[in-house]
Amino acid sequence: MNPLVSVVGRLALWVGSMLLVAGVTVIGPRRLYGLWDGLVPRLWRIRYSLVALGIVLLASAVGRGSLQTVSELFGLQMTGFIYALEGDFVAWVQATFVVPELTIYFSWVYVYGYVFLVSFPFLAYLALPRTEMLNRLVIAYALNYAIGLVLYTIVFAHGPRNLMPDMVTSLLFTHNPDFMALTSEVNEAANVFPSLHTSLSVTVLTFAALTRREYPLWTPIAAWISTSVVIATMYLGIHWLTDVIGGIVLALGSVALAYRIVDPDGDAPGSSGPDGTNATSGLGGE
Amino acid sequence: MTRQISRRKALAGVGTAALSAGCIGRVRNIAGRGRPEQLSLEINTTPADSDPNGIRIARQLAENAKAVGIGMQINTMSLRDLRRRVLLNHNFDIYVGQFQEVEPFDPDALYSLTHSRFGAETGWQNPFGFTDFGVDELLSEQRVAEGDRRLSAVAELQEALIERQPFTVVAFPDALTAIRDERFDGWGEQQPLSIEGLLGLERRAASDRTADDPDTNDADTDEDGDESDITTLELVTTDQRVTENWNPIAPEYRRYGTFTSLLYDQLVRMDGDEPIPWLAAGWERIGPETFEVTLRDAQWHDGEAVRADDVVFTYEFLHDTSMGNVDSPVPAPRFRGRTSLVRSVTTVDDKTIRFELEDVSRRVGLRALQVPILPAHIWRDRTSVATIAGFEFDSETTEAVVSNNENPVGSGPMRLVEVTAEESVVFERNTEHFLVRAGQEDETETETEMGEETANATASGGGEPTNATVSNDGATDTTAGDGTTDDETTGDGDSGGDTTGSGSADDIPERFRGKPAFDRLRVEVSPSDIAAVQAVGDGLADATISNLGPDSVPRLGREADARLVSTRSAAFYHIGYNTRRAPLSNPRFRGVLASLVDKPLLVDDAFEGYAQPAASPLAASPEWVPEGLQWGEDGTDPVHPFLGEDGVVDVEAARDELREAGYRFGENGRLLSRDQ
Repeated sequence: MNPLVSVVGRLALWVGSMLLVAGVTVIGPRRLYGLWDGLVPRLWRIRYSLVALGIVLLASAVGRGSLQTVSELFGLQMTGFIYALEGDFVAWVQATFVVPELTIYFSWVYVYGYVFLVSFPFLAYLALPRTEMLNRLVIAYALNYAIGLVLYTIVFAHGPRNLMPDMVTSLLFTHNPDFMALTSEVNEAANVFPSLHTSLSVTVLTFAALTRREYPLWTPIAAWISTSVVIATMYLGIHWLTDVIGGIVLALGSVALAYRIVDPDGDAPGSSGPDGTNATSGLGGE
Repeated sequence: MTRQISRRKALAGVGTAALSAGCIGRVRNIAGRGRPEQLSLEINTTPADSDPNGIRIARQLAENAKAVGIGMQINTMSLRDLRRRVLLNHNFDIYVGQFQEVEPFDPDALYSLTHSRFGAETGWQNPFGFTDFGVDELLSEQRVAEGDRRLSAVAELQEALIERQPFTVVAFPDALTAIRDERFDGWGEQQPLSIEGLLGLERRAASDRTADDPDTNDADTDEDGDESDITTLELVTTDQRVTENWNPIAPEYRRYGTFTSLLYDQLVRMDGDEPIPWLAAGWERIGPETFEVTLRDAQWHDGEAVRADDVVFTYEFLHDTSMGNVDSPVPAPRFRGRTSLVRSVTTVDDKTIRFELEDVSRRVGLRALQVPILPAHIWRDRTSVATIAGFEFDSETTEAVVSNNENPVGSGPMRLVEVTAEESVVFERNTEHFLVRAGQEDETETETEMGEETANATASGGGEPTNATVSNDGATDTTAGDGTTDDETTGDGDSGGDTTGSGSADDIPERFRGKPAFDRLRVEVSPSDIAAVQAVGDGLADATISNLGPDSVPRLGREADARLVSTRSAAFYHIGYNTRRAPLSNPRFRGVLASLVDKPLLVDDAFEGYAQPAASPLAASPEWVPEGLQWGEDGTDPVHPFLGEDGVVDVEAARDELREAGYRFGENGRLLSRDQ
């Protein structure tokens, strides 16, 4: 258990400080202050979505093991198929680009950058007086996880590092074995399609693009980190290109669905509320 | 794996043309013939996380076969799922895996592996579906023959198997183990993965340990709230199956059966060529094929005494796990080769069992006594047909075969105490076990050696000394004096020196007496070999017990207190073929596949030299391998040398061989097959 504790500690430290810095520079002190005031009513307004996300996460945590068994017994064995489809693409990526500095960078991005990327929008949209963006984000996350879990069950496949260790090195775990303690707590090696790292990153990026008027600084940061995460999944030998494409499709689909569920006028759970500090902050238009 | 669309289209086109033309007969003659299709085979193996080596073998075979024009796709799956497919369902084309024995084994192990009589059974019984009269005959012959005659039968058997290739032996790996020896000694003298290896460990003297003890031992004391220092042996594995299932007859969960053999005792264990009386106190040959075995005084983990009835039950049960509940017997998926040596088993009295063996040599006959003895009072309830929610799925499957055997009750030196599924499992020393008693006797003996002498004299050794067997040092002293042990379990006074407490300590090799040297054994599941090595390096574990890949070896150099122990394992890596399926049913085809495997290259690249390439499955015991089948001095396979050079296949040579065997290639250079 020891390595796990230290990894989680480091993770909390990194992500905490990044959130603090980004909070001050991207969201701004004034909105952050307003966030504190509006916190409870805003969360209350999106309670259904939060509950839905909670249920999905809980189902994923509790049911992952048994769904894995179902997948093993009845799922489609796709490792060979995916390899036949894309061949040595990931091996090519590693053969072409791997240098120690990039490995350190991508390992960092894959763990710390990713957690920051996925948690920051929650804070940012919570700081907005209108909750529809936050609501959409939470719903999109829930959809990503829920659909991802279904696909994991249907598709049983291992990643490139597991199929061709002769050509693809498991860079993340070879250099940071304690990261493995963490990822094995939250993931199964046979869950590669689709890449949830990709889909959640692209989800965040899509929202960042849609809210660029609110948070102009966030859009390029999100673009940088999420692109890095997507590349990292393949650079580190964890995912196939196929998983990444699947992840992107899943992300766009989830965002679109979230927009259909919470429409722009926002009469879904969490429409008009106390128009607090900043009246112009309606996200209208998108 | 077939490509039907083009064929269906073609048929439709031909159909319309033919109907309009009206020459149905001709169309029938043409379209009625199946068109050959491009051959595509599937290789099943485990992912690199659970075994870094098998996948490399599969990759090489697939790449080389592809170059020749044989389509191959690799599918990775958990070891449990692989075993289920291969051993239980026979639903595979090709698999890559390891054999189930880690210690050098008797050639008779090949009997259950390749005899055609087991082709329809599940488990490690001829999973290849291999049938060959000649091989069957040789398998039977080596059971009966002794001395040189057996040697030549075994040699012929290997020749036949290597020629026909129901499976391709690739290499015998070095079992690599990362260990730290600050708390235990004796690593690497035996296979650390075997029960002998674990029991052979010695605890380091307290003075050696004090320096680093605070860390590890404090944690133990806290947990147990116990003042006395509890020694825990901490092991790490990447194989989580040991946290899920403790059924000694479930082949999909057992690798070498190390932990189930800590839970369940066999009557006899082999120490090299010497039999050690284990749960049996001794045995005696009373007829040409008849043995009488006497049990030691032993208890099941639940407190019940181990009786002759349990032994009789075990053998009947392994022969038919339904115990007659189903019309045709449902044999256990493990130990079938061994139980097939036994004609009948009956009780003589509460502690004595009479075995009627088949007509086999003494050495092979001893194998019959090497199965785990199960408590009848537990397993008798598991003889019904297995059901899910009341439905029978298959009348060939009994509860016993599918049971996870939670709370296993055995008589072995360890008992199971704590399980966290997929994370860890804890065993505790069985203080009632005869190994522990043997240790105590040792202590008392050294004090009262005089007493032992007299006890020896009074004990009436039991029958003809000729075959009374046992004892390591050649002496037939079946005693250590009932007086010293003072067993509460009574009743042995009447049966003389042949029973129980008698004979114990002296028959058990010194290194097992008073063992295990740890009070607890904890096995922790680690996500990968690298993380496992790291755990040993960080002082969180004493040793790794699952396969280590080359990526994890250099890591060990960086950890000051950990080192690498390597012992040659008999669990050879092999490529298994499902000979029930064409074209794998053709030995010529299998021979070509075998020569597409560059074994020396694999040993260098994948195993980084930590393996020995081989052609014969018996290469771990070289005394059985005839000269012509030993690995060549020049580094080539004696029978199926690699078709190519420097790792590159000679495509034309391979195709020529296949053409000669009657196969044809399509215009794009891919092998065609009609039968798939």
